[in-house]
Amino acid sequence: MTQAPASSVAKAAPQVPPKPRTWPRTLGIVAVLAVLTALTATPALGGVEIDLGAIAKNWTNGADRIGKMLTPDLSVLPRTWQPLLETLQMAVVGAAISAALAIPLSLWAARPTNPNAPFRAAVRFVLNVIRAVPDLVYATILVAMVGVGALPGVITLVLFDIGIVVKLVSEAIDSADAAYMEAGRAAGGTQSQINRLTALPQTWPAYVSQVMYSLELNVRISAILGLVGAGGIGRLIDEMRGFYRYDALSTIVLEILIVVVLIELASNVLRKRLR
Amino acid sequence: MTALAVRAPAAPPKPRRLAVKVASWTVAAVVLGAFAGLDIDWEELRELPGDLVHYGTLMFSDPDWSMLPEALLQTWRSVSMAWLGALLGVVLSTLLGIPAAEGVGPLWLRLPLRGLFAVIRAVPEVVIAIIILTVTGLTPFTGALALAIGGIGTHAKWTYETIESAPGGVVEAVRASGGGLSETVRWGLWPVVSPELASLALYRFEINVRTSAILGLIGVGGIGDMLTTYTQHRQWDTVGVLIIVVIVVTMSIDAISGAIRRRIMEGAKARGVERSS
Repeated sequence: MTQAPASSVAKAAPQVPPKPRTWPRTLGIVAVLAVLTALTATPALGGVEIDLGAIAKNWTNGADRIGKMLTPDLSVLPRTWQPLLETLQMAVVGAAISAALAIPLSLWAARPTNPNAPFRAAVRFVLNVIRAVPDLVYATILVAMVGVGALPGVITLVLFDIGIVVKLVSEAIDSADAAYMEAGRAAGGTQSQINRLTALPQTWPAYVSQVMYSLELNVRISAILGLVGAGGIGRLIDEMRGFYRYDALSTIVLEILIVVVLIELASNVLRKRLR
Repeated sequence: MTALAVRAPAAPPKPRRLAVKVASWTVAAVVLGAFAGLDIDWEELRELPGDLVHYGTLMFSDPDWSMLPEALLQTWRSVSMAWLGALLGVVLSTLLGIPAAEGVGPLWLRLPLRGLFAVIRAVPEVVIAIIILTVTGLTPFTGALALAIGGIGTHAKWTYETIESAPGGVVEAVRASGGGLSETVRWGLWPVVSPELASLALYRFEINVRTSAILGLIGVGGIGDMLTTYTQHRQWDTVGVLIIVVIVVTMSIDAISGAIRRRIMEGAKARGVERSS
């Protein structure tokens, strides 16, 4: 990669090291990418059929809808307050429950705060499994289990939030300054004392910013949770889609955008105060 | 400040944490209000563990493994959507993201591009897919396109942020030794940012694998489609197989892709070495 210009006129013509042979590796990488792309684009093998003809033929349909969405119909606003409030409540409740659960889980999942390796591995494995399931899959199954409403939505948000908050906070603990924890241990503290007095105070900023981030994600996600009947403003999106009211749909999307931006601003203020 | 310290070594006054108190009470009030306002019968939560055990047994005690080949085929379709969506999305994001970086594109080009990314970020992938399916129908191709276009919002942002955070010294050095624009990009910028861009591209693929399962819900095919169908028909033994497949495939792809990303970012020699700070 590094093609340093040969230092031209040195005294005794120093031996220029041979150029590293990178082309076989580059060729290998390109070949793997090309093969994967070819395989995924082969319908006979279950891949995706790339149908450019359809785009050429029907692109006006899409343009039509985008055009409709660009002229938001604000008359739908009064109907959105109630679902929007429900969305916000779900987002706050989901973030609060997961924030409470995330404290012990993060401490269990990080190396310095949980020296018990098998237990730590078990916690991490369970969290990886929780993270591997997409949010809407939880929602679909939970709606089938406990019925339509806000409850399956809140449980989905809690599961989703725990996945990200615990991962990032436990990584923050892993990379936190170990000297404090060593000092705590040297002073004869028990593991739980060390965790409470040295590990937690160091990770509060990371923790709060992750919880705020999860709140923001919750608002975004609950826009689609309603599609499967898990409550919130997504229910309205689904309804508007059913009636082809794309102008109203974009109003709702705008509303979500504004809420998300407001939460982002609030979390920036909070983060600055915590430093 | 120092003058005070000399005179009276009295204990400093207790910090007035009024703002903190007000803030924490506000947060508590908001959380409690949200709990109270939600139309949830919290009594139902008591039945939840029982429900979970009940449905868990239905799903995982005797999974219908005869559905496995079909499940794997649909998973491959989802992964195909994710891959093509990531590929197309990354190419588009790179093309659009580079001119949006400060120091590369002019302001009149940067602002509208960044606005476009922000708008795309605001629209959920499902809504994008709803628009696209009027063009290409309920096909996996729609899913791939929705992932590609939906990905531009975040990925182009990462691209220009990566370029902006690249250390300027190398670029300056190339420019100082007489390099033009193309030389600056090729030798000054590309070697610095390409590892991170490659890593982000793989990360985009990981995200798309999850999102493609979600897009299945609106019927574009793949594992999400199959999962919705069987959940609605309450064929729990098949749903169990599907969940196992989703978890195993997602975790394997994450592991492989994560290993490659670490290799890209830290180089061959860093392998097996504890990251220091």
